Amino acid sequence: MEQKYEEEIQMLQQEIEMLEAEQEEILRSISIEHGDRLQHELKSVFEERGGSQKPALSKLITEVRELEKDLRRQTEINGIALNECFVKTLHKSERKLVQQLRLAGHCSVLLFQVEFAVTEIQEDDALRRRVTELNLVVDGVEFKDFSAFVSRVEDTKDLLLFFRTLRTFSERCEERRQTFQHFQEKYPDVVSLPEGCRSELMIIRSPQLPGTSMTIFWKIDVSMEGVVKPSLELLLKMPDQAREFDTKKVMENGSNYFQSLLKVLGVEASIEGLIRTVCL
Amino acid sequence: MEGQIETMDQGVLGHLMALEREGMGPQDQDESQRLEMLKVRAVTLRAQRDKLRRQADAVKILKDKISKDLPLDDADADAAGGFIDLQKSLLTAWRMQLKDLQRAHHLIGGYDLVECKEGKSVCVSFHTAFEGVYLETYNMELDLTRTMQISRHNIPPSFPLESIAKQTLQKDLKAFLQTLSQKLNALAGRRQQVCLLKELVGSVEVMESNQLCSILVLMCTAQGETPKAVLCTLEYGDLTQCLPTRVSIECEDKTLSESPQWKKNQSLLLESPAHTALLTMRRMGSIA
Repeated sequence: MEQKYEEEIQMLQQEIEMLEAEQEEILRSISIEHGDRLQHELKSVFEERGGSQKPALSKLITEVRELEKDLRRQTEINGIALNECFVKTLHKSERKLVQQLRLAGHCSVLLFQVEFAVTEIQEDDALRRRVTELNLVVDGVEFKDFSAFVSRVEDTKDLLLFFRTLRTFSERCEERRQTFQHFQEKYPDVVSLPEGCRSELMIIRSPQLPGTSMTIFWKIDVSMEGVVKPSLELLLKMPDQAREFDTKKVMENGSNYFQSLLKVLGVEASIEGLIRTVCL
Repeated sequence: MEGQIETMDQGVLGHLMALEREGMGPQDQDESQRLEMLKVRAVTLRAQRDKLRRQADAVKILKDKISKDLPLDDADADAAGGFIDLQKSLLTAWRMQLKDLQRAHHLIGGYDLVECKEGKSVCVSFHTAFEGVYLETYNMELDLTRTMQISRHNIPPSFPLESIAKQTLQKDLKAFLQTLSQKLNALAGRRQQVCLLKELVGSVEVMESNQLCSILVLMCTAQGETPKAVLCTLEYGDLTQCLPTRVSIECEDKTLSESPQWKKNQSLLLESPAHTALLTMRRMGSIA
């Protein structure tokens, strides 16, 4: 009698596990394959709630609302928005969980795609978590000098470091974009951004001084360890006839003058100063 | 005691019978109790399974309807009371996607924020990891009632929390969290390197280290005609980083620390995590 029950219990447990896994998979596939329809249908579910004819759903609705709120806060505070999240459970047992995650999203205007596996093992009272098989794709003109860092992160599987660096990097890019755009709007006749406001290049050229230009290279370097460091450089161009009158050797020393100016005045005031020299 | 007094009232025979019951009873009782428990468990599980089967059916119908682009509230679904089931599945599908997103954020974000005490405070947990292995999680409660203040935390006392808080906490919460997360991760990374070093390169002895792991003194043995003891001092001047800012090599034999091989070792220690650098040095035959 006892054995009969035990056998049945074991069978039931297996069946329940299977059913749960199956249901999970179907539900996930609905939100991934038919996300738009799901959102559309949910809207009517939430709207109907005013009639409150479905107490069976109210608990679930509250829970979903809480989760949505939590996610909004998380997105805000992390500065990382996820548009796509695909989770696949590869192995699940009492002590071990292996999942494959595929995420796509953006950090301000920078787009990324990440794919990785995460293994969690319950050991005594500690949970050991490890990231394996990390693949990263980043997209945008800003990422020119990012590839060395990305391949190192892929090697070391340092997921947290990647996102920490991406966040700082995107903040610096945003500062550069805003500054470039500000000057282009303020001095449209003099300032040009030949590769767009998101690139590292800004050219100052006066219509009264043909052949003379000042080019600013605003690079944002990322080291292998994820240290983000902006650097600005100035390149001067002058016609040969004008160089004869360059008694103060501006061509030769201009770049050094600019570096000292940066140290004293900061980026914005230094660029402003440069522009004023040709606007006079 | 009370039970004994009761049986005493019923005389010696009663007392003996009671003792006998006590001696024999539990086994019988245990067995029937156990059987009863198994029965109850089987019944509960059966009910759970039936419920899951019904849910699975509802989910399958839902997916079918959605992929064929059919309306969900048609007559036959409504008649069977299945419409609520379908809506429930919709909500469950969305909840699952939200939970997946939440998990993803926890894995990549570095810190979580949870409101507590009805919005009077927030609890923040900082995750740390080094080379794909997740390490300690630190927690902190921030009091929001007047000016923002740290009310509790489990960050090591040697950590310069107060100065970081003074600089950014009131002005910019995000910057505060980012700086803290970066420095805690660097700390965890430096600590993990010491652990890995002890585990993987047993021949190297850790002579000195501190709680912040901002200094690490290692004793290794240089391979050569006569083995020589070499002291490597790693100083971590930048607490946001896992790598040292200064490495010095000391040996009684002055020519050794000036040799090209040890100059190379010095830059290895500056450029890669301590355990990887030492493993490379051992592989090259530079140290024992």
